[in-house]
Amino acid sequence: MSTNPVLEAARPATRAVPAGRPFRLREWLEREAVFSWLMLTPPLLFLLAFLGYPFCYGVYLSFVKRPVAQPATFVGLGNFVNLWNDAIFWQAVWNTFRFTAAATVLKLVGGLGMALVMHQNFKLKGMTRALLLLPFIVPTVLSTVAWQWIFDPGMGMFNRLLMFFDLVKQNQGPSWLGNPTLAMVSVILVNTWRGLPFFGITILAGLQTIPDELMESATIDGAGTWARFRYVTLPLLMPVIFIVTTFSIIFTFFDFQLVYVLTGGGPANATHLMATYAYSVGMSSGQLGMGSAAALAMVPVLGVVLLMMSSYVRRA
Amino acid sequence: MARYHGFEGSTSRRDFLKLAAAGAASASAGATWRPRKADAKPAQITFMRESSYVKEFDEHFKNVLIPRYQAETGIKIVYEIIAAGGSAVPRTVAIVESKAPVDAGWVQQEWLYREGLLDVSDIAKDVGKQQGGWYSEIEGLSVWEGKWRSVPFGNIGQCMVYRRDWFDQAGITAFPDTWEEFLEAGTKLKKAGHPYGMSMGHGFADNNSWLLPLLWGFGGQVVAKDGKTITLDSAETARAVDYVRKLYKDACLDDCVGWLDPANNKAFLTSQISCTNNAMSILISAKRDLPDMGKVTDHAPNPKGPKGRFHSFVPVTHGIFSHTPDPAAAKHFLRWLMDPKQVAAWYRSAQMYHAPFLHAYDKDEEWNKEPRFKPYQKVLETGKLVSWPAPADRRAGEVVNKWIVIDMFAKACTGTPTKTVIADGVAGLKQIYG
Repeated sequence: MSTNPVLEAARPATRAVPAGRPFRLREWLEREAVFSWLMLTPPLLFLLAFLGYPFCYGVYLSFVKRPVAQPATFVGLGNFVNLWNDAIFWQAVWNTFRFTAAATVLKLVGGLGMALVMHQNFKLKGMTRALLLLPFIVPTVLSTVAWQWIFDPGMGMFNRLLMFFDLVKQNQGPSWLGNPTLAMVSVILVNTWRGLPFFGITILAGLQTIPDELMESATIDGAGTWARFRYVTLPLLMPVIFIVTTFSIIFTFFDFQLVYVLTGGGPANATHLMATYAYSVGMSSGQLGMGSAAALAMVPVLGVVLLMMSSYVRRA
Repeated sequence: MARYHGFEGSTSRRDFLKLAAAGAASASAGATWRPRKADAKPAQITFMRESSYVKEFDEHFKNVLIPRYQAETGIKIVYEIIAAGGSAVPRTVAIVESKAPVDAGWVQQEWLYREGLLDVSDIAKDVGKQQGGWYSEIEGLSVWEGKWRSVPFGNIGQCMVYRRDWFDQAGITAFPDTWEEFLEAGTKLKKAGHPYGMSMGHGFADNNSWLLPLLWGFGGQVVAKDGKTITLDSAETARAVDYVRKLYKDACLDDCVGWLDPANNKAFLTSQISCTNNAMSILISAKRDLPDMGKVTDHAPNPKGPKGRFHSFVPVTHGIFSHTPDPAAAKHFLRWLMDPKQVAAWYRSAQMYHAPFLHAYDKDEEWNKEPRFKPYQKVLETGKLVSWPAPADRRAGEVVNKWIVIDMFAKACTGTPTKTVIADGVAGLKQIYG
């Protein structure tokens, strides 16, 4: 609530209905408190219905044994104990952390580079910026199918290029999605490709808010290109970088479509993430309780990230 | 009268509220799915199926069967098509759980949700009686606790699909009869630049369809007939694992260990592989789009192992969801669909891609039109449900959908020792069977 005296003076004298006057709906609706709640209610109901209810139902399911089309049986922490003893789950956890860490670092470094380049003046800058957004705009399923072709061992672009430069012989190129290590590298690569524009454009927006005067002062003081970047640009970009990285961690940690379409979590679970594993247990295998527990296991990580984010924003 | 600053102009706060209320009311009216009254004639039946790899099959249903039923009964049929490729089971699970407005359909892996299906024993028994009887193996899937929960339709057979010209060039005049001969031939073909491509990734059919028959052929089993005893850890399984590792190394394209189901079709049709295990869709596509390849593509049954020759089923069955507001109408449609006047032409529209589980079609003239499809008919005789010899229950479904057996072989191919992969497989089974 504002305490600015000018604004207070401009506010209508009173919105309370004087005692003794008949109740008028119109006046009641005009009241600040009533109207603000009326405006807030639809989004709140929407969030409760489509986020709150599924989440609470998911929490409930994680404590019950609930095969599809069968009644639930309370098992307490039984589902979590089962997961604790499940080697595939732990492999999915480990894969998820590796995938998130590698993809986030690559997107951060690449996005920063992309933003610095886009901040320069060159011909067709506008068109280049628009084109760089393409990976972010194209539906993930569609682009992932295209990547399947790119990774194809015989017909794919990567192995064709390797053959063109005589780095491998015909039909002896690497198996991008068949080799467990390369399969993980491949899904990280595709995630990085898709997420790079988000970093690039957001950091570019941050770069454009840095006043030219600061750069000019630093140059006059003798700072070279690296020094200007290190001591002026980077510190001023830190709030933007922090926010964009936090969001990216959340998106990457919960990534599902990319792996589901590209590898299905294979070969031999080498690319199974917590999201794909939860889906395969809950939806494909019909174990809704166990699937919910696997999905819920991701929440503590999200909680830590959100705490970090909110604490940073508060300090900033 | 004071107006809120943001709404000064043509639209008042009240107008806005009216507009919002009207919008919400119309949206909710459009989204509501009300159950029909019991005595009312149903306006429509929603029938769900996974799209077929043979487009003529879907076209026949849409262009012939639906209009015919609508003309005969006045009831509209809404055809909900799910993309092929593994999304049908999660979609069906969601339909059962959310009681989505779907009345009937192809109930893939019904072992996961039989409780959500109506008893259709009357239809299944009548259809069987009328059309020569059912192949007995499929009853293990459709019949549960003495009642038919689905009406069998056909098996999407899985056999060996191979390039006869490349086999001939390598001096292999007949397709290998045993797994050992299959390895020997594959080794020669890979050296000649034509490797096999045997799927071992997280797909849903092309992986199970050769790895399970191979395991059974070597004498291995996942779970015993009692549906409780885990029998995977055996010398026979170890021999099967060692064999697959060698086959992968000496005869296969490296990539196949991570393949999803469309990958082997793509690799075969782009001449990257000489042999794979698949449905007859590769030959149908080749004949349509690549006639030269169509001439030199052939089919053969799975090779046999020390314990015999096996195939695994990819069964198609139709069921009715128990939440349908009008069970009688859904049953009427299913019965009508399975009547020989409808179903015979439907089978033939896809050139018997769905090999009928009904004996009346054993000698159907359609089987003679393309002799290369014959092995797919034979699958009905040697085919087993993927749970075999254990019952086709929920737990068996979980084993399949968590790729426990497939990953055992795939891990062996990517360097993990035999003992370890079997131990991992057993640990996964214990999670499910307790």
